[in-house]
This record gives sequence, C-alpha cells and structure tokens, in this order.
Amino acid sequence: MRIERLLMQRVEGEAELQLLWKDGIVEDARISIPTSRGIEKVLIGRPYMDALVIVPRVCGICGHAHLMACVQALEDILGVVPTKKARLVRTITQSLEVLQNHIKWFYLFLMPEVAQADIYRPYRGKRWIDAIEVSSRITRAIALLSGQWPHASYAVPGGITSSPKPSDIVDLGLTLDLVKGFFQESVIEDIRKFLEFCQSEGLMHKGKAYNRLLSGGNLFNGPGYYMDRVIHGRLKTYMVEEAEPPSYSLAYPVRYKGLPFETGPLSRLLLLPDPEVRHMHRKYGDSFGVRVLARVKEIGHLVGFLEGVIKELKDRLSEPSNSLKRPPKEVKGYGLGVVEAARGTLIHSITVEKGLIREYRIITPSQWNLGPRCEKHLGVAEKAMIGLDRSEYAKLVLRSFDLCSVCTTH
Amino acid sequence: MRVLWLQRLTCCGNTHSFLNYEYLSSLFSRVDYFFHPSLSIEGEEEAIGKVGDIDLLIVEGAVEREDKALKSLAEGSLFVMAVGSCAVYGNIPALNNPEVCGLQYRFKEKGGLLGEGFVSRGGLPVINLSGCPAHPSWIVGTITSLLEGIRPKLDQWGRPKDFYSSLTHWGCTRNEYFEWKVEAQELGSQKGCLFYHFGCRGPLSYSSCNITLWNGVSSKTRVGTPCFGCTEYDFPRVGLWETRQYAGLPAELPIGVSKRGYIMLSGVAKMFAPSRLKDED
Ligand code: SF4
Repeated sequence: MRIERLLMQRVEGEAELQLLWKDGIVEDARISIPTSRGIEKVLIGRPYMDALVIVPRVCGICGHAHLMACVQALEDILGVVPTKKARLVRTITQSLEVLQNHIKWFYLFLMPEVAQADIYRPYRGKRWIDAIEVSSRITRAIALLSGQWPHASYAVPGGITSSPKPSDIVDLGLTLDLVKGFFQESVIEDIRKFLEFCQSEGLMHKGKAYNRLLSGGNLFNGPGYYMDRVIHGRLKTYMVEEAEPPSYSLAYPVRYKGLPFETGPLSRLLLLPDPEVRHMHRKYGDSFGVRVLARVKEIGHLVGFLEGVIKELKDRLSEPSNSLKRPPKEVKGYGLGVVEAARGTLIHSITVEKGLIREYRIITPSQWNLGPRCEKHLGVAEKAMIGLDRSEYAKLVLRSFDLCSVCTTH
Repeated sequence: MRVLWLQRLTCCGNTHSFLNYEYLSSLFSRVDYFFHPSLSIEGEEEAIGKVGDIDLLIVEGAVEREDKALKSLAEGSLFVMAVGSCAVYGNIPALNNPEVCGLQYRFKEKGGLLGEGFVSRGGLPVINLSGCPAHPSWIVGTITSLLEGIRPKLDQWGRPKDFYSSLTHWGCTRNEYFEWKVEAQELGSQKGCLFYHFGCRGPLSYSSCNITLWNGVSSKTRVGTPCFGCTEYDFPRVGLWETRQYAGLPAELPIGVSKRGYIMLSGVAKMFAPSRLKDED
C-alpha cells in the first residue's frame, strides 16, 4: 500500500489529490483543498442588497452565475418577478459566461495535458492564444450588457440596471459569429483529436462515477435527474442536503435523496438531449471521455441557444429593465435561487430579517462533483478515480470535472 | 524580464481580468519568462527553482501573516506588485480573519505581510493595483512600463498614478446629471446620477474605470450600477447600494468638497437644471 500526493497544476485555485495505491491500482482517492475564504460569514448582518456585490467574488470565472443565483433568491424573498427583457438579458450573460469558461477550460487546462503539439503550448501556441482571444471577445460581449466582466452586479431584484441598445444586439450577433467560426474551424477538429487520444489510452471506459446525474435546469434544458437508467423530469430542491465533511476536507459533501450526483454539462446534455452525447453515454457510461465530450459540445449548444435568445431580446428592447423601482428596506423571509453555472447546478439560499441577512448558504457545482465523502458514500470524483492504474489518468479524470477549488470551499 | 505570478487567497478574478487584455500574446512574447499557476505547465515550486532572479513578483489574493516563503521571495525580487484589492488590502478574505492581510496593508493600516518599510531590490514599495478585480490595462500597463524601464510614480497607497490619480467619477456618462443634481430615482433607469440614492462611490474613489473602459466597452455606472469603491481600502462597505445621509445631506461628500459648498451649489443646480435632464423618455 502506498500513498501518493499530487498537487494539481492549472486549475482554478489550488488542490491536492491523494491516491492510495494497492497492487498498482487506485484503491482510494481524496481531494483536499487547503484554503477557504469564508464568504458566507462575511454576508451575515449586512443589508441584503450587499450580497449582489459580494457573492460574485466567490469565483472569478463563474461570478456571474453566483450573481444570478443570488438575485433569484432575493426575488423569491421579495415576491417580485423580473421583466421579460431582464430575464432574457440575464440568460444571455449567464450563458456567455459558461461559454468562455468551457473554451478556457478546454484549451488552458485540458489540451496541454493530452496533446503535445506546439499549437496547444501555453503562451505561444496558436490555439492557446486563439482560445484566449475568443474568450475575451465573449467577456467583452457580457460587459456590453453588464458593465464589466468579471465581477459585475448589474442584476437587481426585479430586473437589471442596464438598458441594452439595438447596436448591442448587432454586436452580440457578431461575437457569436466569431465563436461559431472558432467552434467549427478549431474546436470540432480538437474534439476529434481528443477522442482519438481517449481511444488510444482506453479513457472512453475509465473515470466512471455513480452514473447519477442532475441539473437544476435554468439555461437551455429543463430540471431533472438521471438515475438507474431513467430520466426524471423534476428536481425537488428540498431533497438537496449538505452532509458533514470528513476531517481532510474543508468542503461539505452534497447529496440528493441522500445520494451523490454529478452535475454539469453531461447532465445538461443528457436531459436536453443531445443525441450524440446520449449515444456515447449509453455506450460508455459517465466516463472521462463522455464527460469531456459533453463539456466541449456544450459550446456549440450554447451558441445556438444564444442566437435564439438574442433574437427574442431584439423585440423587447423598449420594455422596462426593472419591475421594482427601489429595493424595500424592511424585508423578511427565506428565498432560494437555483441556476446552471459552467460546472453545474448552483444553489443559493438566503434568510433575511429586518432587511439584514441572517443566513446565507451556497451549494456550488464543485461541491457536488468534487466534494468529499459522507458517512455512506464517496464523493463523485473520488469514486471516479477508483480502479485507475496511472496517476496521470487520475489527474485527467479530476480535470474532467473542471476542477475549481475556489468554488468548492468558498 | 522574468515574471512570476503567484496566487494566495483568491477567487482568481484578477487572472480572468488579465486574460481579457487584447494584446496578451504580444506581452508574452516580450518577456523572457512568465509563470502563472493557471497557465504554465510547471508548478509553483518548479518555477521558483527554475527562474533564478525574479524581476517582477506579482501576487494575487490575500496572504496569511506567516507566509514566510512568499516574504522571502518578495525580498529577493526586483519589483513586487500586488494585483487586486485582496493582495493590496486583504479585502474579503481578511474581513473575518485577523491573520489574513495584504502585502503591505491590512485595510488602511500599514504593515501587512511585508511590513511598513518594505522596499524591493529595485527601490520601490509594493506596487499596489487595487480593484476587485484590477483592470487588465492597469496590470499589463504596469508590467510593460517596468519592461520599458519606466518606474511608475506611486500615490500614497503605493498605486501607480497613471491609473489612480483621478476619481472613478471622471468620464462617467452621468456627470451632467451629477452637476445639475438630477438623481436617479430608480434602479434600471438610464438617466440620473447614482450618488444621492444608490451609494455611488465614484466621487470618493480613485480609478480610471470610466476613462479606460472595462472589456474595452463599458463600466458599472454606464450600465446603471453604482460604483462600489472597490479600489479603496474600505471595500466592501456595509450598505453598498445606499447613500448614508444626515439631514438630507450625503454623510460623505465628494472628495475635497465642503458641506457649505455642496449645499449652495446643489441648491442652485437643482433650481436651474435643464428639463431635458429631468424628463425620463
Ligand atoms: S453615477 Fe457615480 S460616477 Fe457617475 S456621475 Fe454620478 S456619482 Fe459620478
């Protein structure tokens, strides 16, 4: 028996992977994330509107999703409904954030690991540079609507603070054309290369977790979950619970109906469904290769989805941005916000009393996927690493969940 | 120039802000070595071993007071740069933890990890790029000016004057409303200034957000969100969307403006404000 400690490079934040080897096979795996910034604590006692500024700071790459979950929870408390226009704009910026995330993840975090060719080399490789340039065009498009990216706070209870103009619609369309071009010319070719790599390394069969998948479903798919080969078209949020963490972890495990579930692009594309992903999933299960395929294929889905939403927005530009003139002071209640972030389902729940935050809880996608074991079950990624025969594979499998330590412990 | 970018307690927001920069690849081609934990193949330890003398140490994220390794790296570096308000003041991670601070400050107290009197080998204190996050042009602008051998002139907080000598309020498209005291009455309106009702810190914060726009196109106040003053040590204040008031007067007035002056001018301004500013369309 041998314990191996691996520090993960090129992830969001820092993380350590511990592998327990027996006869050349991973017998147990633990993911530990050394730091926590205590954001939920900072929120207690503040006026509820402050959360809109503080929660995006949980994560530099998916801060927008946190903003959306927060504003939904606040709207739930206040009993206000955002205008249709605001809803569309929020959907656009949230989807664009997911889009840039996937491109960065694929080219900055994954491809340098699987392909040795010069074009994937950090700093100098053509594809690497293109990926960063395309991502920055996407974040520019977000900023047209939200003022800046990262860390905007333009979504407020009842709507948004911005008023997009017809020229912004044109600009968004041009950005999408650019992304589409990049997807068709580069990404599709690279997916092929990636799948070849998986076939040659046997990774289409490796890295399977529980084959239970779930999504809160507020982007292009509806909510639901997959379990025991059946897709269920509903998700009961009250059955989502945090469990006690083991001593080695600062992150809390999350369970649905007491069971570990994976969340993220694979869940979303299975629920959508994307025929190719569904076929591959039927053939190989929730393996490394299928998980990555779904993540990258989601780029294409998001582009198509966004084109539709932008078209809808075009006809609503003259509608009001906000249905609530000014946020009221004396507020009391409990609210829930469930959104889809790049890595999966994100849940914010807030209790407010006398206009001040009494409790704030965040359940991140990374807690679902990378969270540790509870008393009964291993964490999803931990489970996916068992039985692997090389530490490189273990690292790749961990990467396939789009490891984000800042979100895991927040 | 050999550049080492390290992360401590961070959301990685400054990294993603940096990645927004338009001409990033030309920056990379001009430095001899660039290490970044989210981008480079090698890990932090390997990079430190490999780099030898560090010309520019960039730190993102708040730091723990006992981070001796980081301290000794900073002492050996030609220049040290704190990128983002966490590395500058401690920011959110320091709010609930007295052991967490910025490189040379903990909020407004001098000291931090490196101590009040810290000067790097190149003769400058920590170059502080405050902001949550810092703007890509401030980050790349400071790196390239060092690359050109130009030493940034720093303000009293160690921030390059090139980017922090004017108020965030400068260049805001709502300036005319501010002048005539036409206040936004609701969130989401295109008109009106956000200073009086929605806590805008534009006239109380230093940054070039409304001059060098975010992502090249916009800023908070341009989309109707108040400035939250994220470049200043007191970010995030309690009550970020509110303007504290006493007897109808903002508790904090724009930097350098007297109470008497504010009252007199706003009275006159309100009386003569042109109607095109007051009518919502
Ligand atoms: S909105 Fe803020 S930055 Fe703009 S003019 Fe008013 S006070 Fe100044």
